Amino acid sequence: MVNTVTHTQAVSLTTAVNLSNMKISNNPVETLVAFSIGSGIGLAIHDSVIGVGGILNIMLPDSTQTTGISAGRSPFMFADTAVPSFIQALYEQGTLPERMKVVIVGGANIVDCNGLFNIGQKNREAVQTFLSQHHLNIHYEDTGGTISRTLSLEIGSGCSSIRIFGRGELKI
Amino acid sequence: MINIEDIVDRIGLLEPVPPVATQLLVLAEDSDSSIAEIADLLMHDPALTANLLKICNSAYLGISRKIESIREAISFVGLDQIVDLVLLNSVSQNFQNRYDGYGLGEGELWRHAVSSAHVAKILADRHGATQNKHLIFTAALLKDIGKLVLGRYVAFSFEKINILVHSQGLSFNEAEKQIIGMNHEELGAMVAEKWCFSDKMTYIIRNHHLSDPAARDNLETAIVYLADIICMMMGVCTGADGLAYRFYGDVLKQLNLSVNDLNGIIAEMGEHQSSIENLVNLI
Repeated sequence: MVNTVTHTQAVSLTTAVNLSNMKISNNPVETLVAFSIGSGIGLAIHDSVIGVGGILNIMLPDSTQTTGISAGRSPFMFADTAVPSFIQALYEQGTLPERMKVVIVGGANIVDCNGLFNIGQKNREAVQTFLSQHHLNIHYEDTGGTISRTLSLEIGSGCSSIRIFGRGELKI
Repeated sequence: MINIEDIVDRIGLLEPVPPVATQLLVLAEDSDSSIAEIADLLMHDPALTANLLKICNSAYLGISRKIESIREAISFVGLDQIVDLVLLNSVSQNFQNRYDGYGLGEGELWRHAVSSAHVAKILADRHGATQNKHLIFTAALLKDIGKLVLGRYVAFSFEKINILVHSQGLSFNEAEKQIIGMNHEELGAMVAEKWCFSDKMTYIIRNHHLSDPAARDNLETAIVYLADIICMMMGVCTGADGLAYRFYGDVLKQLNLSVNDLNGIIAEMGEHQSSIENLVNLI
């Protein structure tokens, strides 16, 4: 008697990556989505050789410049604690830096003539700094302005897409 | 230019906020009113009572015993939260639809409204502005009511508005005014007047983007404005208008907040998101 094992897979699976969260997957039918990114940053990283990727959705640049909240409670809220942890978690899945396709999206700003509350720009700078410290090059970046963006990553293909109201969808 | 009278006529198509909500707001802000008076007002609205008891007995509030009356609800949940829940329940209907003109899917304007009200409550508590806390909460909830009507006109004119925003640096509400002839603040104030909201509420709705410099000195309006800004930055169901509104730093001084405090409030809101999501789904 021959034992047969049947693998059934969903045709597609969409998983939301909420604010202050991250998600890593090796499921080829899964698409990760960070909806409506404002001043925060959506960071998508994918290694096509082993088919592993993830999205990090951070909200603020620096856990030490925030009154009353500890990064220990929300490690994926702040760029300074989240980006290194996210990259480390990807390394633990077998990804290699030279194979990583990196996309960053978001960092929008409110119209602030005095630049007092430009969290979007600070988020972008913080994420770029930590990526640079890990010697990771940015493959594509769509940041700044006053628009809200939705970022998705197809784990199977490694294709990222950015959706903006009135401008349609850009696949990368 | 679009005919303003056509726009204003469409206010009549909205589902008005039930009188019990405005009566409750008056009682809740009056230090002389008693809990018994508030309970009595709510008990006379059977549909509202049923909804309120459903919420009080849901997992959202996590109360271990069964709540069977308005009086019990006030005792176990607390008057402030009951007032907020009634106000949420009373205004939710109009906000649940999709508003394509603003790029908002079904329920997204409601989610933004509830989140704004929640931030406004945090800001009011921090500032000690407890005297008008229910007014602030409700104004934050209703501030975008003009979008319910203006959405279809924004949809017609979106390309023109978008050009002004991105090539001339206008804020979205300034561009609405220039292209359509009125913006969602002004239209929201018209809705508020038609529905006989208080003068204070109407003032906050009319000025919630602080286009009039005088409104920046009004504490309640400044709090509602900042709550809206925080939700936009967090990307809480921001639509076609995105973050295209002006930031006035003076408001931070007025509310005695540093940028680090503001980051703290954004972080606190981030931690509350799942609880707010539960509330949005419940009402």
